[in-house]
Amino acid sequence: MRRHPSFLPSAVRRIFELPPSTARVARELSDEMRIHIDMRVDELRALGMSEPDARAEALRRFGDGDEFHAYAARRAAKRARMHRIGEWFSEWRQDLRFALRLFRKHAQLTLLVVFTLALGIGANTAIFSVVHRLLIAPLPYRDGDRIVMLSMKGREHGYSAPSGDAVNVWRTRAHSLETIAAVRVDYIMVQTPGERDSIAASITSNYLRMLGIPPVIGRDFTPEDERPGSPRVAMISYGLWQRVYGGRPDVLGKPIAVSGRTDNPHIIVGVAPPAIGLPISYNPPGSKWREATPSIWIPTSLDSLAEGYTYAKLRAGASAAQASKELQGILDSVPPRSSGTRDAPAALTCCARAVRPQDMLDPRETRTVEVLFVAVAVLLLIACANVANLLLARAWTRRREFAVRIALGAGRGRLTRLVLTESVLLALAGGVLGVALAWGILHAVVAVRPPALENLDSVRVEPTVLLWCVAVSVFTGLLFGSAPALLSIAASAGDVLKSESRASSGDRHARRIRSALIVAEIAMSLVLLVGAGLLVRSFVALQHTPLGFDPHGLASVQVIFHRGPRQQVPEKQKAVLGRLRAIPGVTDAAIGVMPGEAFGVAGERLVSEPDATGQSRSVVASGVTFMSPTYFRVARMSLWQGRVPDVETEVSAVMGPGPIPSPTEIVVNRSLAEGLWPHESAIGKRIHSAAEHGDGLSSTVVGVVEDTRMPGPRPALDAEIYRPPVPIQTPFVVRTTIAPADLKAALSHAVLEADPGNIVYRITIGDTYLRDAMAPTRFAMALLVTFSGVALLLSAVGLYGVISYAVTQRTREIGIRLALGAAPRSVTSLVVRSGMNLTVAGVALGVVTAVGGTRVLGGMLYGVRPGDPTTFTAIVALVVAIALTACYVPARRAAHIDPTEALRAE
Amino acid sequence: MARDTNDLLHGTLDLLVLKAVSREPIHGYGISKWIEQRTNDTLEIVDSALYKALHRLEDGGAIAAEWGVSDKNRRARYYSITPRGRQMLRAEVATWKRYVAAVTGVLGTA
Repeated sequence: MRRHPSFLPSAVRRIFELPPSTARVARELSDEMRIHIDMRVDELRALGMSEPDARAEALRRFGDGDEFHAYAARRAAKRARMHRIGEWFSEWRQDLRFALRLFRKHAQLTLLVVFTLALGIGANTAIFSVVHRLLIAPLPYRDGDRIVMLSMKGREHGYSAPSGDAVNVWRTRAHSLETIAAVRVDYIMVQTPGERDSIAASITSNYLRMLGIPPVIGRDFTPEDERPGSPRVAMISYGLWQRVYGGRPDVLGKPIAVSGRTDNPHIIVGVAPPAIGLPISYNPPGSKWREATPSIWIPTSLDSLAEGYTYAKLRAGASAAQASKELQGILDSVPPRSSGTRDAPAALTCCARAVRPQDMLDPRETRTVEVLFVAVAVLLLIACANVANLLLARAWTRRREFAVRIALGAGRGRLTRLVLTESVLLALAGGVLGVALAWGILHAVVAVRPPALENLDSVRVEPTVLLWCVAVSVFTGLLFGSAPALLSIAASAGDVLKSESRASSGDRHARRIRSALIVAEIAMSLVLLVGAGLLVRSFVALQHTPLGFDPHGLASVQVIFHRGPRQQVPEKQKAVLGRLRAIPGVTDAAIGVMPGEAFGVAGERLVSEPDATGQSRSVVASGVTFMSPTYFRVARMSLWQGRVPDVETEVSAVMGPGPIPSPTEIVVNRSLAEGLWPHESAIGKRIHSAAEHGDGLSSTVVGVVEDTRMPGPRPALDAEIYRPPVPIQTPFVVRTTIAPADLKAALSHAVLEADPGNIVYRITIGDTYLRDAMAPTRFAMALLVTFSGVALLLSAVGLYGVISYAVTQRTREIGIRLALGAAPRSVTSLVVRSGMNLTVAGVALGVVTAVGGTRVLGGMLYGVRPGDPTTFTAIVALVVAIALTACYVPARRAAHIDPTEALRAE
Repeated sequence: MARDTNDLLHGTLDLLVLKAVSREPIHGYGISKWIEQRTNDTLEIVDSALYKALHRLEDGGAIAAEWGVSDKNRRARYYSITPRGRQMLRAEVATWKRYVAAVTGVLGTA
């Protein structure tokens, strides 16, 4: 066989080889068939056969010719199709290789783009995960979004429990509710083999089923278990099972003595899953009233759980708002006796509500999360603007590359694919890095979370959130990354090649877009920075708040006395006080609370006795503190006027049942004194509660104490009352030099020494308490400062990029100026001025936006107003300084351009 | 009788074609002639089936094809074996021998 002469390597030959069109492949096949037949005819004729006979024989030997033709056509079509797909892949591989080569060549630019995108995506993914956990899906149950708490919302004050009657009518009539279940945490002692002080809770038998979580082992409660007289059964918590029973399955059937009833114990029938708890509480996490985690769950009927929490599962499709409306409607239609709560006045219980967990969040916390969400969205916008700027500049420098490709016959489609491949690669790289960043940011957020956002501890990068963020970023990446490139492809090839690099109209257009993006970036950064600055000032102001007491070295311990007659309580109080004082390192102890944690009837209206002109004033008390005579000394509060009543316990007052009567002598704080008696001394004046009348029930003010307050944004100082203690469960405070780490153990030990039946309910350490009070502001400040700092950095990089690109483009012009004798300094100022024009525009836009925008921070601020001129001035100065630096670097480079080099270039 | 032999051949046509191609580049007609000669004209191959076998092998990467010029100065498509085809051939021949041995063994005892 001889081949066609071919001196070219096969790779080169392949370029000139025609692609296998369907027609060509089919033609080759029929050629082959024809040649084959001719060869056989030749041979048969050589054997002496006649031409027609030979041909007939050859055709017969070939088989079904028509069938072969059809086969040939099919094969040709298939070959062409395969070839096209192969070609597409090989081109795509080329594009990919080209893109990667380009990224390697411009490694700095590529890293900058990827990292910028990653910052935007990472911050958004992290904060959106937070929003998701706190505001969108707070309950970790299957139908968690359908679990609500049934409650009465007061007109003046928070929420209260609905009456048993109300729950009963709702149970029979409300269509928006699927199930009603209830729980009550009973602070009763449960003895287990290894632990005392386990706390029990009573739940309705359908509690776990409503939450949609089955027991870990054993059985769930049945309605029979609720009935009085049926065998006493209990479920234990997963924690108790692990701690006390070592996670062994033979715990089922074991007895457990609730409230010391060893003679008639409950039988453990199941282990509750770890996710069980109180899905929604009136008390935010971290507050002193937050319920302790129960270890034992006992089935009880709904009727006997009226003073606990009542939850409901909404029917699928019903909203909490609809349910609230229906519940109130039902109450309106029944006689007043059965509506509202049992004892509370109407002002406290106006409206029935189906409460979701997110409704119980402090509005300030919710606002913080919303502000952060907006901040990271702005950050992403800035990141995108930067990426767009960088790629816009590159696309413009690549015009010539594209023009050459088009001139050499590359189709627009092919170029578009090339550009899209690059953009998607960049966006994906940014996405991958962003997820890693999000993970880190989320950890940092959880580490600085305020106590009330306890829910955040279980936050993770939600897959749905992640998907959403990556999709958004890829989309924005595409939009910002490819639009400029596609535009320059569309620009006609010849035009670009002819016009060299001199500013064309398209060039001016691109510059305008880049300038607008930078102005917007600077403006957005400024808004974020002003917000961050206001929070920093709030935090500083908080730290300097006069507290009116000394939290350092102060601790409070709340004790629950073992059940017994009230008459024994003063003795128990005295015993605990004695033991607390005996702790080495404790200098003093008293009955009383950590200031700010006041206890008692909040919202009570107090009325002063009519003065000489017959007028009386009133204030709403925010709290009543029961205190023993040494309380002010222990808390280091200063008595402004008068004296402290020398009463250890008002035993006489409370021996009978019913409400606690007013004491004879009280101390009030300065706010209350100045509110009721603005022009005269409060000492010796008498006040009474608006709900009570008659002379016998009023109290005499014997002392006025300076106000105490916790660092935290509160609208006004509160009126507080301090009165001698009564024989009920009381908190104690101690002044100590013991390190906070060892304090809890020492205090618990002393309380139990006084009476083994005592339960230590809660210990508050002054330093922690102070830190927690500032936590919401610290949290918002830390995150906003970080995000706005990143925003400023990105804007500076963007500005730097724009200015240095402009310098590069104007190299020749600057060279001419320098050649004609311009001073280098005038060139520097020319360049800096062009950057400053953008900065001034951005700052102006930013200030206007910030004046309006920072108003949303209102409730989060303390000691500073949203429009604070000092903050604005400082931030504007900061932004201008950073912008100057960003412009100065390329400006200096411009001044050092060598005129001869610049003129020779291109 | 010839017909039955052809049927038997059909399943092993690929193997024969591969063998024919393995020696040197050869065109379709050459392969047909070669097989006829080697079998003393006992096997008469339907030419269209031969080409389909060639294409199958080509798609499978066992053989490659290229246009060339024959000894008689005629343009023809030449087929040659690839390294992969050589491997296939070795494996197929071994399988075939085992198969024949097994069948012969069975028929011998009958």
